Amino acid sequence: MDSVKTYLRRSFREADWKAFCLFLLIMAFFGFFIFLPILYVLRGTFFVDGKFTLFYFTLMFQDSFYLESILNSIKIGIAATIISSIISIPLAFLMVRYDFPGKRILQALLLVPLVMPPFVGAIGMKQLFARYGSVNLLLMQLGILSSPIDWFGGGFIGIIVLEALHLYPFLYLSVAAALANIDPTLEEQAENFGASGFRLFRTVTFPLMMPGYLAGATIVFIWAFTDLGTPLIFEYRKVVPPIIFTMSQDISINPMGYALTVFTLIISVIFVVLVRRYGVRRSYEMLGRGHIVPRVRKIGGWKIPLVYLPIVLMVLAAMTPQISVILTSFAQNWFLTVLPTAYTSDYYQIVLSQEITTISIINSLKYSVLSTAIDVLLGITIGYLLARRKFPGKDLLDSTAMLPLAIPGVVIAFGYMSTFSGTPLNPFYDPTVLLILSYSVRRLPYSVRAAYGGFQQTSVSLEEASLGVGASPMRTLFYITLPLIMANVIAGGIMSFSAAMMEVSDSMILANTEKFYPITKAIYSVDLRLGDGPYVASALGIIGTLIITTCLFAANKLLGKSMGELFRA
Amino acid sequence: MVEVTLENVSKYFGQVRAADDISLKVREGELFFLLGPSGCGKTTTLRLVAGFYKPDKGKIYFNGEVINDIPPNKRNVGMVFQNYALWPHMTVYDNIVYGLKVRGISSSLRVKKAKEVLRVVKMEEYTTRYPNQLSGGQQQRIALARALVIEPHVLLLDEPLSNLDAKLRLETREEIKRIQKDLKITTIYVTHDQSEALSMADRIAIMNEGRIEQVGGPREIYSSPANRFVAGFIGETNFLTGKVEELQEAQGLLIVKTRSGEEVYAKFYKQGLSLSEEVMCSIRPEDVRILDEATKGGGGRNIFEAKIQSLSYYGYIEHYLLSALGVELKVTNTNPRDTRYKEGDSVFFTFDPGDVDLFPLK
Repeated sequence: MDSVKTYLRRSFREADWKAFCLFLLIMAFFGFFIFLPILYVLRGTFFVDGKFTLFYFTLMFQDSFYLESILNSIKIGIAATIISSIISIPLAFLMVRYDFPGKRILQALLLVPLVMPPFVGAIGMKQLFARYGSVNLLLMQLGILSSPIDWFGGGFIGIIVLEALHLYPFLYLSVAAALANIDPTLEEQAENFGASGFRLFRTVTFPLMMPGYLAGATIVFIWAFTDLGTPLIFEYRKVVPPIIFTMSQDISINPMGYALTVFTLIISVIFVVLVRRYGVRRSYEMLGRGHIVPRVRKIGGWKIPLVYLPIVLMVLAAMTPQISVILTSFAQNWFLTVLPTAYTSDYYQIVLSQEITTISIINSLKYSVLSTAIDVLLGITIGYLLARRKFPGKDLLDSTAMLPLAIPGVVIAFGYMSTFSGTPLNPFYDPTVLLILSYSVRRLPYSVRAAYGGFQQTSVSLEEASLGVGASPMRTLFYITLPLIMANVIAGGIMSFSAAMMEVSDSMILANTEKFYPITKAIYSVDLRLGDGPYVASALGIIGTLIITTCLFAANKLLGKSMGELFRA
Repeated sequence: MVEVTLENVSKYFGQVRAADDISLKVREGELFFLLGPSGCGKTTTLRLVAGFYKPDKGKIYFNGEVINDIPPNKRNVGMVFQNYALWPHMTVYDNIVYGLKVRGISSSLRVKKAKEVLRVVKMEEYTTRYPNQLSGGQQQRIALARALVIEPHVLLLDEPLSNLDAKLRLETREEIKRIQKDLKITTIYVTHDQSEALSMADRIAIMNEGRIEQVGGPREIYSSPANRFVAGFIGETNFLTGKVEELQEAQGLLIVKTRSGEEVYAKFYKQGLSLSEEVMCSIRPEDVRILDEATKGGGGRNIFEAKIQSLSYYGYIEHYLLSALGVELKVTNTNPRDTRYKEGDSVFFTFDPGDVDLFPLK
């Protein structure tokens, strides 16, 4: 008994109270901007007129419109995940295991879709694949078709294709990272026992890369399942996010918006939790001993086309939305013809001269810089606490910081609308603060992971050596620790920044007055304009894309190969 | 010069006693070793002196002054880490002068001191290199130079040679010993390598499970281990269990009857053993001599017959395994040049009663 008491007393004395206070402050922040909004959404669903009710939650599954929308959303999520998997697993395998001329360029091209959100791509794709778009016109001119085909399947198929084409890089990056991480001797041992080819892949390689694959698949599923922008552009209303979007505009009236938000949250959380469970159980230490020769085979001669063909085809398919948007942004006249009949840079001048667009660019830059600053600061602090200090509640901090990965943008945004509409932060009045916070909360896991990774890679003895020769803890932080983790932190920051620049759901829902529009909302609203709408929207989309591209190049330079790790859920 | 004293120092990690009631005195200018198996608490003890851990109990003194509450950066100790902990984003020169900058030493003096210390470790030409451009041995020297340049009260070395290859390790031992003697700096050196400790140390503390088992000079520790653990840990030995059968105080001898029934004579100077007490005898392999038949039957004590089970030849020495006295007895022949025995031969062997160490069996 006594020893237990002294043990407790000692752990109490040893607990790091400074770290604990910092932890409480951070948790208070999370409390206000993650947990409170979720509680509000739950309350809106289950407490109507002060009474507990399951009515609205069950109504969702009884009303045929809502049920169909729910099923559509799930179908889109699953279909996009399957298509992305079919694309990215073979590509990752080719890229990681073979060496061939031009590999680096192809690798960069495969990541191009990351720079443009799918809903911008949708604007361009509509020019190509609409009823009287380029493809139908071309096929009819060639006499292959007699009447136009609906390529988008009323929008449903269009959404799936655009999501898959935009999202496969996430899966590709995490599968490639997982593959590269597999200790080659494990495969060599299997070959030694006589396994080869597909059998080797099925029995050894695939199980070993499974955690990486699932992590990527989670991102793809949740993103496709909750994307708001693409259905809006296709004017396809029978999916959950646009319904939530519409209902967020009259936040106080209809409990169905709350119920759908809760449903979206539940599905995402279940998905993330299951995958995490599996991942923890199945992630293996890959600590190779001795000299390791990576299994990279050089490909040359007649085999090169065999490797090139699938990759080039994929690159072309993946870049179709981007190319179509670029074409649209320069098309002076593109109506009932396969290609534009004349080109112009007018739309860029319009973008740079009209108020709605110029303000949106400035707004986006402002919101993104500030949200990134918050992310970097919080990321370093949380990463430091997790990696270097010991305090009660550490596990809670870890899981809370990673929680936003499981919370879709529509949920956060809807939660903010309902929580803060009666407060000084009212988004109808001025959404600046909430936009910045929603951007930073959603991308915080990247910064935390980047900083934490930096601290982990930095041996504590490097810091102790500094204390040992007489430097103060502060000096050690600024001269030793921070310089060593800077590359990670900056890369994480750039990821946050570019994600914030093109954030869709939060922007759509929270920004309701033109002068607060960020780029994405401005693109949407300009696209709706008759006449030059889609052209100007495309030009604005290209400008946003250029900004992101620059950022991603910088991040890639800093992080090199480990970029895929950042996207692990 | 500084004298380091630990007084009843304990450090716990949860329920684990990493350092358990440790009392030590490291003399001024001494090269003091903490030696023990991994997990014995030697690194914990070193880190307590460095200030990276705070003792849960007890006091640590530098020159009689309690330093328990002084943070590591104010203790003026130079530590060399096992992995060297060279800052990868700084050049060799910047690594070395970092501690001087912290101390606000002028740049001209910094240059001079850095030059001096680099000469001591023979690395003058490498100032502009980055740590990853250096070999393991060179990194080790820079880590040492970085610790020395601040003229620390105490130099702490945590397994500094464990990442070097065998040949370099031998050279660096001499190097460190030379530098330590030249600078006359109080040094605590942690290692699990007993030959490192025996060959370099002024004094050694043997640690096990957080406790100190014995403190003494290398010869003392090897030739008169204080207990079973030390006897078994340092060098090779043969353990025989038995019972005290007879005390011959007049001859200064006692007789132990081994489990297998033989009588083994031992010197009777270790007090506290009584008749029929269970004891453990420790006999070093090199203290056992194989006898020629001729000397047999001279009425000598501790003469036994045995079969050679196996024989391994190492050039300068030769090892035998004899099945004798109820155990596999290890024997080292230090002059194997004219041996004519082979496996399976029957031989006689003997050892001096004075070479038998006795420990109570508990």
